[in-house]
Amino acid sequence: MTKPTVLLLGEIDHAHKEWNALSSIAELIEPKARSREEFIQECKSGAFDKVSVAYRTFQSVAITGLIDEELVAVLPEGLKFIAHNGAGYDQIDVHACTKHDIRVSNVPTAVDDATADVNMFLILGALRGFNTSMIALRNGHWKGSPPPPLGHDPQGKVLGILGMGGIGRNLMKKAAAFGMTTQYYNRSPLSEELSGGAKYVTFDELLATSDVLSLNLPLNKQTRHIISTKEFEKMKKGVVIVNTARGAVMDEDALVKALDKGTVWSCGLDVFEEEPKVHPGLVANPNVMLVPHMGTWTVETQTKMEIWCIENVRSAVEKGVLKSPVGEQKDF
Amino acid sequence: MIHKEMFLSVLRTSEVLFVFPKASPKSLCHFPKHIKTRTRSYHSSRPQSTNTKPVATGIRKMGSIQKPKVLLIGSITHAKEEWDALKDVADPIVVKSTNRSDFLAEAKSGAFDGVVTAFRSFTSMSITGQFDSEILSSIPTLRFLCQNGAGYDPINISDCTSAGVQVCNVPIIADDATSDTAIFLMLGALRMFNPCMATLRTGEFKGPAFKLGHDPRGKVLGILGMGGIGREVARKAGVFGMKVQYYNRKKLSEEMSGGATYVGFDELLGTSDVLSLNLPLNANTRHIISTAEFAKMKQDVVIVNTARGPVMDEAALVESLESGKVRSAGLDVYEEEPKIHPGLIKNPNVILLPHVGTLTYETQKAMEVFTIENVRRAVEEGRLNGLVPEQAHLAKS
Repeated sequence: MTKPTVLLLGEIDHAHKEWNALSSIAELIEPKARSREEFIQECKSGAFDKVSVAYRTFQSVAITGLIDEELVAVLPEGLKFIAHNGAGYDQIDVHACTKHDIRVSNVPTAVDDATADVNMFLILGALRGFNTSMIALRNGHWKGSPPPPLGHDPQGKVLGILGMGGIGRNLMKKAAAFGMTTQYYNRSPLSEELSGGAKYVTFDELLATSDVLSLNLPLNKQTRHIISTKEFEKMKKGVVIVNTARGAVMDEDALVKALDKGTVWSCGLDVFEEEPKVHPGLVANPNVMLVPHMGTWTVETQTKMEIWCIENVRSAVEKGVLKSPVGEQKDF
Repeated sequence: MIHKEMFLSVLRTSEVLFVFPKASPKSLCHFPKHIKTRTRSYHSSRPQSTNTKPVATGIRKMGSIQKPKVLLIGSITHAKEEWDALKDVADPIVVKSTNRSDFLAEAKSGAFDGVVTAFRSFTSMSITGQFDSEILSSIPTLRFLCQNGAGYDPINISDCTSAGVQVCNVPIIADDATSDTAIFLMLGALRMFNPCMATLRTGEFKGPAFKLGHDPRGKVLGILGMGGIGREVARKAGVFGMKVQYYNRKKLSEEMSGGATYVGFDELLGTSDVLSLNLPLNANTRHIISTAEFAKMKQDVVIVNTARGPVMDEAALVESLESGKVRSAGLDVYEEEPKIHPGLIKNPNVILLPHVGTLTYETQKAMEVFTIENVRRAVEEGRLNGLVPEQAHLAKS
């Protein structure tokens, strides 16, 4: 019996052993294409006709572009599974995939620690106003002249989490160690056990009463620019905002204006609307802490993620089901 | 309630001494809410100064009652109201001098005569320099020195003890802000955030030289100095999944150490993935981390220092970073602040802060309020709350 074929879109950086182990149950192939045009051509040429499962990385968007209706329509008929290596899967139009009978998985849980850690780093950095001092020091001015305003302690502050998924819940535990109380808004309230006693509030109450607002929700049609001009006006004066979700859940230009006005005292960002481009108003602002999308960039987490995604591929090949289908397809 | 007993003694200059017998301890007050809710009992953990005999704290001259003098060395930034409120029990004097020789001259001129209690701010180092026997001799009536800081290395404690001066610092209040800084630096160093944060600002986003970091979960954190700050670093690091071990002058109870393992100094060096320096600076701890110690550490160790720069040999650190033995460092303190070893400044892998460990509005205010409370306590009750550990023998047993 011929082995099924698995298509690798992107690179395996760490879990080489686990990837190569798939060769006992599948043919492993890679595209020759180095651009979306070339990839579409390669699909149409029939090069991938035997493929039933694809493994894709976040960075492979440089080859294929977004996995949208146009692309899904030219994928081979037999391709039934896309295992995405990442927690956020906004690059994939899941609706289009469902229409074409393609099942999609992402990588939850393995990302939680690393993302919550950078989230906590940014909360501390922004609340404490560390960035200004760090820049002054590197420019040879020690604390800076005049020294920047004093920062704030997290103890006793209210952390508002927008999106209480795995990452939000992981963050809450860490923030609690720093004396922060958590409240959250989520599509639906969580059980006491899952929410760890955090208070469930309405979206407006979250905006109005949080000292620190952390964005931990996925990006999709409903959440694009969920934080924009109107929302900044509803927030506490001097609020600190942290985003480790996706840049586009927040209107970056509106954020810059809110920072300039003083409505937002500081922010900590790991993600930006048009990565790798960052709004010049942010780059020029020494009071904000900016990290270039390093959320899961550790040896340990990258390895765990690759292994998880490879397990989704193995499950699709061996059992015809994915280990961690995306939420929108749970009942598929 | 304090009972005042007045003893009239006819002296040549018609001075009258107000004598305050030992009174019951007052409760701490005026703290931000989060400090009040801490379960750690401040009173039980620090030596209380003894007051076995009444202390003369005021002089009455020429029929008018003069309040006891308290000296402000440095400045009050946040608790101005609380400082001004001292006027109901004391006469505050502010040091005008801005350097040591002027200070000694000002003292000689009689400006500090009769001062029994002093508030010493963190920034007053530039005024007096080391607070040693020469400074102490210039204020012979001084009995209580209230240091507004957790660290007190600029004060020569044995000189103070010899001069009959009791010293208190600010324990506990600085623990959160300092340990928060340590955790920030540890995450920044472990995760290798500094290089790519710098390239982002130059327009390159991650940049070509960006490196993968490491997760704290499962790593061994070694704490050198398990005082209030070290224990807070341990507790917070535990929530990130780190295993904690420590070296301390003495082993702590299981309860105090939060389950962290007590190890020997060499074992701490040899087995820690991250080493956090949380010990005070004194004659025994200067350069406690130097070339020989770096040689004993694990390859790729990460070092965090929020204690005092001189506990670590900065040049030896730079060498170890350049050789790759030390993978990264997170520093808030340096040997010769504000000067920093150029080898650190030009190293993108290290994350550097300019001694901002307790620089938050909330902590700075709470520290000033606490120290002013001690000044008031010295004036009204003739005792301090929380002598420095070196003076524990002067405390109640």
